[in-house]
Order: sequence, then structure tokens, then C-alpha cells
Amino acid sequence: MELKRRDFLKISGGAAGLALLQPSNLDKVCNAAESSSNDSDVAMLVDVSKCVGCWWCYVACKQYNGLTETPIPDPSDPPPLAPDTWTTLFTRKKDGKWEFRKHACMHCTDAACVNVCPTGALSHNGLGFVQYDRSICSGCGYCSQYCPFEVPKLQTNKVSGDSIMDKCTFCIDRVTNGQPTACAEACPTGAIQFGKRKDLLEQANSRLAELASTNPDACLYGAQELGGLHVMYLLEETPEKMGLPEDPQVPAASKVHDIIQWLGVGAVAAVLAGFGLNYIVARARIAKEERK
Amino acid sequence: MEARTVERFKKRTIWFHWIHTIAFLLLIITGAVLFFPGIGSAAAGGATRIIHHIAAVVFVGGAILYIPLNPRMALQFVKDTLSWGKDDVGWLLAAPDYYFGGPEDKMPPQSHINTGQKMWQAVVLGTGIVFVVTGAIMWFARGSISEAAFQWCMIVHGIAFIVALAMLFVHIYLGALHPRMTESFRSMLSGKISPTYARHHYGKWYEEISEEEKKSEA
Repeated sequence: MELKRRDFLKISGGAAGLALLQPSNLDKVCNAAESSSNDSDVAMLVDVSKCVGCWWCYVACKQYNGLTETPIPDPSDPPPLAPDTWTTLFTRKKDGKWEFRKHACMHCTDAACVNVCPTGALSHNGLGFVQYDRSICSGCGYCSQYCPFEVPKLQTNKVSGDSIMDKCTFCIDRVTNGQPTACAEACPTGAIQFGKRKDLLEQANSRLAELASTNPDACLYGAQELGGLHVMYLLEETPEKMGLPEDPQVPAASKVHDIIQWLGVGAVAAVLAGFGLNYIVARARIAKEERK
Repeated sequence: MEARTVERFKKRTIWFHWIHTIAFLLLIITGAVLFFPGIGSAAAGGATRIIHHIAAVVFVGGAILYIPLNPRMALQFVKDTLSWGKDDVGWLLAAPDYYFGGPEDKMPPQSHINTGQKMWQAVVLGTGIVFVVTGAIMWFARGSISEAAFQWCMIVHGIAFIVALAMLFVHIYLGALHPRMTESFRSMLSGKISPTYARHHYGKWYEEISEEEKKSEA
């Protein structure tokens, strides 16, 4: 069979993608599997070894997005993600020194939140990250219960039950106008890099080689997890120690949910078809009986 | 309809039936928009969720209020739903042909409710409890229970929805549309049916009430 041009491009593209993961680093990449994100995708790369815990990302996020501002938090008491806190720091103390990892929405390619959102308020932007339309959020909270990173948070009025979800928007208005995210721009140490996901992967792999030479636990998180995250981490510790699930998955219940949705459609269709048949047959037979 | 009628349902039972119907239909519509693929945009803004909550309170509250209003009937409902016997097997065997227009005399005589209605009551009671338990957990305990627990509540709620919705269609069809159930729908409005209809559809029950009538006349 003749190899078509398109197939050739596909194969060579795949090979180029694999080449990004240099053989020496391949075992350092958490959960090696093929990523399904696109070449045009944008992303952030967080190099935790460069993070000094200054909270500028946190402050910049609050300011740019008009969220309730707070004093600079203490590393011993980092604020959790909340409807008005879209990025925070995961902190841990090691040998008397603080370590930090910026924590916000991971913008997964296989995003459980997008899959379970009934209204379509959550969706993938053409640039790969997970965007949401606040005006059509129904406040059902499914996303908050399916996210493997527990990121989406809901503001709920206890009396009326009125509810709405918020999370990191990936600074959609900035990013779609060619600017970096507010947190990446604010970061004074270069710990948060914004750019094309493809380029960041390349950058990550050469940096990983440096880190791995002195640190056996160093790894790149997010290259393949959930089809490829749009926020990737260069970690000096195992993901678990840095507050990340070792092998994040879309919950199995999400697939069961898809199945029962279609079962429901099938059941309704079968019942309605049954009525039609029954009505025609029963009426004809009863009429025949009466004529006798 | 003949001039003489027999009472099939009390007024308060009829009221309860229709209040429950409205609440349940609202629950179905506002739940379906989250459940069925492709129609989720109707839930945008969250008004449907608030209606779902209000209807849920009416649905549960109505059922609880009915108990002191008509304790005899409420008890009868549960008793009928749970007691199954040989007569039910006879009904199940004869029903397919009967509902497809087969001869009436092959159907064994029925009590106040027949086996099919008993099955519907079992669905109402069974899925009702499942709806209330899983619904209350999702409403009040989101965030305090594990994500996995919430996910499975959602799925169980969904399965109960499929069962209840399919059986509700059967109930509406047989109660209001089937060519043989000529007085069934009217009986849920006025509470009365003709003696002929009672004899044909609920033979055992008709005998019972006829005897009671004779005794009270004597």
C-alpha cells in the first residue's frame, strides 16, 4: 500500500513528538503515554525549583480577575482554592525549608469537568485550555465532584440554592490576545513560564535533564496525564509529596454516567414504540370482538 | 356511564394524586435537562435546579402529609405494594394477551388494585425512596461526602430516573390512553366508576363492596 502524504505527516509528527521526550528522560516523565493535545495549544510550565513562595501569582490573579484581595498568606496556612481564589500555593516543609507549588486548574485535555457539565458551560478553548461560560452555568456542581484535582469551586446561597462555579480562566482575555497569563507575567523568578505547549515541553525536557542529574526524584508532571495537562510541573519530589495525585484519572463514574444517559434514551424510545404497537393491535382486536 | 356509581377514590386521594403528579412532572422536566444529552442548555442559569428543589419538597412533603389525612389508605398502599401471591402470577400470565386486546374473561378477577398497578406502586415507593435519599445527599452533603460517594449518588439517582420515567409512561398510557381503560382516567378526577367497569376490571373488589352495601342496607 502506498504511504499517503497525510499518513506520512502523521507518522513523522508522532515521531517528532516522541523525540521531545529524550530517551534519557523518558522514565522521568510521569505516566508515559501519548498526549492528545494539539500543536497550537498554549500552556504554562511551573518549575517548582525556581518558586520562592512570594505569592505574586496569587496577588496578580486576584487583581487581574477582580477577586477579593487578602494580605499575603503565611506558608503554614495557604488559602484553599475558592470561588474567589483561583490560584494558590501548595506548601510543604522539608528539612526546615518551605517548598512551594503553584496550584490551580490543570486545564486537562481529557477533562472530567467538561465531560460531566450538562449545560456545556465548561468546554475546551481552541488553544487547549478549559474555558467556561459563567452565564450558562447551572450550578449543579458536577464538575466539582468529578475533577481529579478538586479544582472547581461553587458559591452557593444556602437559602435559595442559587449556585455558580468559578475556577482559573487561564486569563482567556489575555491569552487569546497573545498575552501571557497574569500569574506567569507577575512571576519574578521565571518559575511560571507561559507559551506554546509544544515549546514548553521541549524546554521542560532539557531542564529535567539538569534537575535529574542531581535529583533522582525529579520529574515532569502533566506531559501525558489526562491526555496532557495545560499546566505542567517540573517537580523535585514525587508528585504525591507535592500534593498531586500520582496517576490522575477521569473517574470511572463519568463513563457509567454516559452509558446510563443513553440507556435512558433507549428505554424511553422502547416504551413509546411499545405503546404505538399495543394501541394499534389492542384497538383492532377489541373492535373485531365487538363486531361478533 | 350508568346512573349508579361506585366510589373508587376519596377526594383527598385524588387531590394528593394530582399534587404529586405536578411535583413529579416538574422534577422530571428539571431533572431531564441535566440527564439527557443535548438539552443541558435549558438548565443554564440554574433556575431549573431551584424548581427541582421546590418540587422535591412538595413531592416529599405531600407524601408525608397524606399519611395523617388518610391513614387507612396510606397503610393499604404499603400493604398492597408488599403483599404478593398466587393471584399475581395468574395476572402476569394473562396480562400480555389481555392488554393486547385478548378476551376479557381469561383475566382472573382483581382486588381494588391489580397486579400491574401494584407493580407501579412498587416503582413509586421504591424509586421514591431512592430519589429522596440520593437527592438529599447531593443537595445537602455535597462537599462533606467524598467525590466518589457523590458520583455514585448521581448515577443511582439517574438509574431510578430511567425506571421511574419508563414506568410513568406505562402508567399514563394504561391510565388514560389504552383502549380498554375507558373509565380509569375519569376515576382519578371524580373518584367514581360505573358498576360494570368495576365488575370487569376489579371483580373481587366489586364483590366485596357489593356485599358490604347489602349488609348495611339489611
